[in-house]
Amino acid sequence: MSFFNQLREKASQLSLFDKAEADRKPTRDELFRDEFKLPECETIVDESNAELLIVAVKSDGTSARDQSHDEGPVVYPGKLYLTQHFLVFKDSIDKRSCSLTLNLSTVKKVERIPSKAFIFALSILTSSGTKVLIQFIGIRSKSEEFSQKLKSQLKHNIPNTKKLEPFLRTLYSEFIIRKNEPGVDKSSVKAPEGGLGLLFKFPGDPKKLKDKSKLRLWYDYFRCNGRNLTLSKQKMFQKLIRVGLPNRLRGEMWELTSGAMYLRFQELGTYQRILDSHRDQRSVAIEEIEKDLYRSLPEYSAYQSEDGINRLRRVLTAYSWKNPDLGYCQAMNIVAAALLIFQTEEQAFWTLSILCEKYVPGYYSTTMYGTLLDQKVFEALVEKTMPILWTHISKNDIQLSVVSLPWFLSLFLSSMPLVFAFRIIDIFFLHGPKTLFQVALAILRINGEELLEIDDDGMFISVIKEYFSQLDDSAHPNSPDPKFRQLTKFQELLIVAFKEFSVVTDDMISKERNKHKPAIMKNIENFMKRTQLRNLPRTHHLTQDHLSNIYDRFYESIQSKKMSLGTGKSSMDFETMRQFLSGFCDWILPDDEFKYHDGDFLHRLFRAWDKSGQNELSLTDVVVGLDKLVNRNLMESISNFFGIYDPEGTGEIDREGILQVSEGLLYITKPLQDGKILDQITTNSIESYVADKVLELQTSPDDIVLPSEVNIDKEKFQREQGERYLSAASNFIQRAFEYAQPVEEPMLIDLPSSKDTEKLKANLALDPTHPLTLNVPTFRMVILADESYELLFSKTLADTIHVDRSITVTNKNGVLRDMFDGLIADGRRVASHVRRRMDSTATTSATSVTSGSSRSRTAVVSADEDDDDFDPHADDGDLMDNVELSALGDVPIGGLSDKEAQRGEDLKVLHEQSNYTKDTDQLIEFEH
Amino acid sequence: MSRPITAVKLVLLGEAAVGKSSLVLRFVSNDFQENKEPTIGAAFLTQRCVIGDQTIKFEIWDTAGQERFASLAPMYYRNAQCALVVYDVTKPASFIKARHWVKELHEQASPNIIIALVGNKCDLVEGEGNEQNRKVAKEEGEQLAQEENLVFFETSAKSGLNVKEVFIALGSKIPSNVQLNIQNDSATSANACNC
Ligand SMILES: Nc1nc2c(ncn2[C@@H]2O[C@H](COP(=O)(O)OP(=O)(O)OP(=O)(O)O)[C@@H](O)[C@H]2O)c(=O)[nH]1
Ligand SMILES: [Mg+2]
Repeated sequence: MSFFNQLREKASQLSLFDKAEADRKPTRDELFRDEFKLPECETIVDESNAELLIVAVKSDGTSARDQSHDEGPVVYPGKLYLTQHFLVFKDSIDKRSCSLTLNLSTVKKVERIPSKAFIFALSILTSSGTKVLIQFIGIRSKSEEFSQKLKSQLKHNIPNTKKLEPFLRTLYSEFIIRKNEPGVDKSSVKAPEGGLGLLFKFPGDPKKLKDKSKLRLWYDYFRCNGRNLTLSKQKMFQKLIRVGLPNRLRGEMWELTSGAMYLRFQELGTYQRILDSHRDQRSVAIEEIEKDLYRSLPEYSAYQSEDGINRLRRVLTAYSWKNPDLGYCQAMNIVAAALLIFQTEEQAFWTLSILCEKYVPGYYSTTMYGTLLDQKVFEALVEKTMPILWTHISKNDIQLSVVSLPWFLSLFLSSMPLVFAFRIIDIFFLHGPKTLFQVALAILRINGEELLEIDDDGMFISVIKEYFSQLDDSAHPNSPDPKFRQLTKFQELLIVAFKEFSVVTDDMISKERNKHKPAIMKNIENFMKRTQLRNLPRTHHLTQDHLSNIYDRFYESIQSKKMSLGTGKSSMDFETMRQFLSGFCDWILPDDEFKYHDGDFLHRLFRAWDKSGQNELSLTDVVVGLDKLVNRNLMESISNFFGIYDPEGTGEIDREGILQVSEGLLYITKPLQDGKILDQITTNSIESYVADKVLELQTSPDDIVLPSEVNIDKEKFQREQGERYLSAASNFIQRAFEYAQPVEEPMLIDLPSSKDTEKLKANLALDPTHPLTLNVPTFRMVILADESYELLFSKTLADTIHVDRSITVTNKNGVLRDMFDGLIADGRRVASHVRRRMDSTATTSATSVTSGSSRSRTAVVSADEDDDDFDPHADDGDLMDNVELSALGDVPIGGLSDKEAQRGEDLKVLHEQSNYTKDTDQLIEFEH
Repeated sequence: MSRPITAVKLVLLGEAAVGKSSLVLRFVSNDFQENKEPTIGAAFLTQRCVIGDQTIKFEIWDTAGQERFASLAPMYYRNAQCALVVYDVTKPASFIKARHWVKELHEQASPNIIIALVGNKCDLVEGEGNEQNRKVAKEEGEQLAQEENLVFFETSAKSGLNVKEVFIALGSKIPSNVQLNIQNDSATSANACNC
């Protein structure tokens, strides 16, 4: 069921917040890549101080003049970096005057400029016709080294240069340059593919947007300063973006300023490959996407057409495959729909990737931790910058995030008229996430006075709604100054956002994020845990506390790397399940001593729990399974165990199965055999041993004196217990084969032999060529014939599964010592034993008569070890006789058709052998 | 002076695209949109409504339905007096989700919260040959409502069927004005202004 899948998926992010991951300082390369929006694979190969000059070369070879730059080209001092595929420069004047990101594929020619001996300078001619002149500053040998490295990177990069030409033809900036080259037949230059706006018109009035004159300015800028993969960003660049991008260029500039263009160039064709390789595949994300396709900017005509819907479907679907941990989040449909107005699918795909992963990390993740976190950060910034308003908001219990959350999540697209949201996004891609905070704060600042008047959420929302509907109006309609009157509310918003709130820096935001992150993560975890626990199936034996412990351990086990904040699995494979159980089950050893093979207990347990059959266990599977395993109801618990070996539910287990059951019993009782843990029988006998000792020391009948020390021969008790379990195991197998029903028709296939069958082959009755089956009632009887096994299913097994142990308790060492110590320390129990002793002496040893419970049998066992209840050797003869009879086809007592009678007879035999009258009588009643 | 107005905080919960926003739009503006954008986070609307001798001002919090938005929900159902848990009668998974919401509300929301279970998009299963579109039987809804003590309606935001009725049924279950305000004084200050 998809809902549970979602829940499960979701829970996978629940593990504890990984401090180390979050507090880790980003490396220098990471910071560098973030600053220049470079792909993951780029690292700094070399760097040097340098001075840089960019000149445009006209097609006739002379320099072109940038009309926007009256002063002419400027020399910028700064720093030059070389990476695998880029030459990067940043000025040192104010770090905003000039930055260059030059893809090495665009380098046409590198020349050394002849100059005086101590100056080292290079001239780089690019494919866009700009010439980058670099004069190195520093030791000459270092400069030469840099240039050597540049040369070798260029050589490495040669294969990529083939991709350049076709790539450039997808770019609108190249198109306007080519089209306007002197002497070119304009009609021969083909416009590149673009967004839906080219087909369905762009939102807004192009005249009013002054798109034509804006394009003209960009044309000049591109000619003189480079473009796309050769772009240098100078002050003019930022100005041109702030006045709003022309619609036709917007898509390309979004991918350029976000760095998506570099990814697209590097990963040409990946988008299509992702779509092809997942063709016709289904997923939860796809279901969710389908729901929202017709609900994405539905008023824009392209999204009433199949073309528009199909593009949107493909981009969102491809991204859900690229980032399956994230999948799809509502609001991405609106953002992607906006991107596709201006961008091709491939452009939108990469821009969406960068957006989700770099610009708004965690916003759309399955826990939406980024969204929650940034709302908290926003509130903190409101408090910091507008304390009066903040006091008013909190005093009136207004949920600020009701208003602001959609701003951040959908980049204002669902709140403002689209044309204005696009302009904010222009700046957002250039300056990063702080833009969202700056604009959001400015909205509150501008409406501050009105907001101070209101006192509930409803009014708050309507003030803001009203404001958004008037963004095109004059901000100062009554001002005598015409310049002021012309200023629109939207322009005013940008001014307030970027002037007044320029104090809000990336650094400030990241500090606030770090501050609030732990609390937010904790909240999310608690919420998820509560939700998951609430929706688990009802359990009969596990309490809420147990479930809570299991939950913690479950998610700890499946998350090798803790919460990668929206990633990770939510189910466990076999090996993880073993690890998981080893945390609280005594019979699983964390360091693998057992060689697990496919038929063994744990594998069978895994398969029995794996309800989906996917070879993975969900939390629900594990909880349902454990709930059965800790069942202390004797009969149910035995049947459950049988079920593990009877996955088909046939009610019968064959010869091989019987052997496996016996191995399983050996396996889960291993720590009991080894004396690592003690069962009730052993503890009782230790207690009575101590009681005896106490009695010896006793002076007066009323006065029980607990000695400060009793010497207990631990090894003896351990050995006794070990022998008891081993004999239980061998008795089990003998009895099981004795009472198993023969299959009438001989099997045609040979049964595989195992080492156990080898052992038993000596006995004719156990010959694998005579098929047998064991059914539930017989299995029960065989179990009940042995007190250790009876106790195993009513108590010991459940005791070895410490579901009550919280995740912080993992120490298994010292368990044994604790048990011994605990026995001695619990004076009351010993005292009661002593009492009982005294009473029983008083009533002249009537104990065994009055109480038929296992306790009294225990006393017998521990009192007289040699007089064992079952003497396997003595019984052997009888047992074998019976088996032989069955094997020969002489159906014993009553015949197969009359199973009841047979069972009755079987019981009788068992009774005689086990001194086990009373409880087994009850068993018969129970069964009917 | 007009009649006293009781402010009632109401929250809508339910799987994505079951029609929560559409129900609100129908109730508040008597309108319907074929393709409504998903709700991002939550939306807030108000509507007044005369029930018997009192005027109720519904303060409606319409939440986002996608599973991952669920962790935001407590922020919105905090202090809510009423809730509309909506499912789509043609989507069985949405009914399971509704069950979960009811459970969560009973566990986490105000103890006296009045909940309506609403099976929406009834129009899709009405008329000749459309009955096979129905994936959640009316009886299933009724049974859940019975078990959990919920108001139950099947509605259509598209045709308007039963939409007003749900809100009125909830509104009339609200204790009278005086009691309400006493309750509210301790619980929240958000409604204080409406008297
Ligand atoms: N036929 C029919 N369609 C409906 C009805 N109610 C809503 N819809 C349609 O179902 C889609 C989803 O409706 P919304 O009201 O946006 O759903 P929602 O529950 O608010 O969805 P989220 O905000 O994503 O949680 C829209 O396309 C509606 O037009 C109805 O009663 N009948
Ligand atoms: Mg909605």
